Amino acid sequence: MAMSCDRSRKKWQKVLYKDQGVSDNYVDESFLEEMKKNLHIRTYEFWAVVRESNVVMQQIYSVWIFVAVYFHMRNFVLTPQFLFEMSSAVTIVGYIVNFVILHENALTKSRWKDGKTMGIFLILGFSLSPILMTLTKTISTDTIYAMTFFMLLANLLFHDYGTDAAIVSQAFSLNAAIFASICLASRLPTTWHAFSLVTFAFELFALWPILRRNLKIILSFLLGSVVTVSVATVSSVAVVVFLLLHLFITILCPAWLIRLQPYKNNIHGPWDEAVIKQ
Amino acid sequence: MKHSICMVSDFFYPNIGGVESHIYQLSQCLIERGHKVIVVTHAYGNRSGIRYLSNGLKVYYLPIQPVYNQCILPTVFTTLPVIRNILLRESINIVHGHSAFSALALESIFHARTMNVKAVFTDHSLFGFADLSSILTNKILKFSLAGVNHAICVSHTCKENTVLRGKIDPSDVSVIPNAVDASVFTPTSTERDPEKITIVVMSRLVYRKGADLLASVIPEICSRHSDVQFIIGGDGPKRLAIEEVREHFQLHDRIRLLGTVGHSAVRQVLVRGDIFLNTSLTEAFCIAIVEAASCGLQVVSTSVGGIPEVLPPDMIQLAEPSATSLVESLDKAIAKRRNCQLLSPDGAHDWVRKTYTWQNVAERTEIVYDKISAATEVTLADRLHRYNKCGLVAGKIFIFIAALNYLLLILCNWISPVQNIDLAIDCRKLRRLKTGGVNLEQSS
Repeated sequence: MAMSCDRSRKKWQKVLYKDQGVSDNYVDESFLEEMKKNLHIRTYEFWAVVRESNVVMQQIYSVWIFVAVYFHMRNFVLTPQFLFEMSSAVTIVGYIVNFVILHENALTKSRWKDGKTMGIFLILGFSLSPILMTLTKTISTDTIYAMTFFMLLANLLFHDYGTDAAIVSQAFSLNAAIFASICLASRLPTTWHAFSLVTFAFELFALWPILRRNLKIILSFLLGSVVTVSVATVSSVAVVVFLLLHLFITILCPAWLIRLQPYKNNIHGPWDEAVIKQ
Repeated sequence: MKHSICMVSDFFYPNIGGVESHIYQLSQCLIERGHKVIVVTHAYGNRSGIRYLSNGLKVYYLPIQPVYNQCILPTVFTTLPVIRNILLRESINIVHGHSAFSALALESIFHARTMNVKAVFTDHSLFGFADLSSILTNKILKFSLAGVNHAICVSHTCKENTVLRGKIDPSDVSVIPNAVDASVFTPTSTERDPEKITIVVMSRLVYRKGADLLASVIPEICSRHSDVQFIIGGDGPKRLAIEEVREHFQLHDRIRLLGTVGHSAVRQVLVRGDIFLNTSLTEAFCIAIVEAASCGLQVVSTSVGGIPEVLPPDMIQLAEPSATSLVESLDKAIAKRRNCQLLSPDGAHDWVRKTYTWQNVAERTEIVYDKISAATEVTLADRLHRYNKCGLVAGKIFIFIAALNYLLLILCNWISPVQNIDLAIDCRKLRRLKTGGVNLEQSS
């Protein structure tokens, strides 16, 4: 008798227009049947992630080199002439390398345009550097250092590391770095110092990322040792902090990311906004 | 058992929309069934204070202006005194909040639970989980639903979505669909062009409503069938895309863009069509297709959200959210129309009239009210426990907010004691007086 009752009871349908003889808060076995979890997850491999974390470290190297250069100039170890000549030479070499890598046709027009831009920038920079130097001269040194710290942090946060996130704003990141350089430039003795520091900042934060993206060679070890050496000559505490930071970002963060993967809980279902299929 | 119900939402008349008409129609039907219903909403421009709508529906337009997206600024605590006053004055025993977007509704439910008044929440929309705004909104929803006695969703998909978002027990959620006033949406054969097959589209022209799909479907259909014409009501940022399609394919005589169509004029546009096309990318219920079916049109729609649950297969052609699938379904519908295989307009209208009625919605809502009225009271400690389950850090914050609200309630009770608050006149008694039933002395 129980069997015939079951056969006569129809299967519950997920429709709203039929009175199926059950209460409104009835929960069928098929509840949440169409829910799918974790459809599009990627599995990460530790050393691959470590290699990719290199992108972040490269930008951090830039920041540390910049600060080390500032301190060297302040301690009169580095002369502005030397800095300007070295950075210009490296920039020109980098430009040629970029040119070669991109296999551009020898468009003399674009080279002429680039040359013009460089000329305009140098002239403007040189003529405005007295103003640049005195812009933040009246602010106390502690505030300057604090501002520089936050600006460089903003540079790191908003930099374009190659992902498509909403937080990325290349313009904001560059502006923050240049503002940091102007802050620091005001602490230097002469306008020549200021000009060379700001030019160096531009080359380091605006031009170097472009070349870096096209190079795709891991210069990490070379660059890392350059940074370590330059920072070590300024302060030994700083170099320890730098090495710990390096370890954290390159080894600990990838390990942490991989450890968190099993906790991923992406929910998909019929309530999702449909993606138009082509 | 007759209840005193307070409907709360940021969305009410004079705004016109799905949630607004839902609240109004449901309130009217509940009043018909003998309950007392009031509505609480924010001020609309100069419209502030107490107004009466038909059948003695009292509306409190609180003197708070909306700030963003037609909602008030969520302050959590500043609405406590005024909501407490209203609930005491009107002797409310059930607060019914509508729409997860409405800050006023969520806050009122919170205050109602602090005062140990039963609360129900109706969710009208679907939400995602993955982006930042969804994560925050879902947390707030968890907070609200942790206190609520019962929840109502407009479709089964909406119920699944709400249960996942709010982490509540599915047997605490009832599915009560929306309804349509079928007497307004009646079919007529005189408006239709017998030579052509008219496809009507009535939606805002935005990405969410699939305006891009519409733009890619129109030229394909127009090239396959020479006797098809489109009437598109509604406006929005994607209107330009439709106009570009019209320009590019030279379809000026086959596509008519009407712009924004007022709510009272919708039926006039619908009865000119044979087929109603809906290309939304997400819908909890989609009242538009029921309105179209009530006017006798065959519906072709994308199969998203709660749409597959709304109409039976002979009244709707479902398609995947892609241009090719929509074109296929439209072809089928057009072929059926040509061969006169479609359900007759009057048949469709009768079906909608019998199936989706506001009286049915009110009856089922009353069952929910009866159930929660009979349920035992939840102590403050139990409530705080439930809030604590909302998350490791969030749970503690919610407990703090709930406890603070309770203390503020005690303060309000001390400043303005319950005995000193005058009770408002019950409109039901006034109505009985008007119909000559009761002696004046007995009406107290």
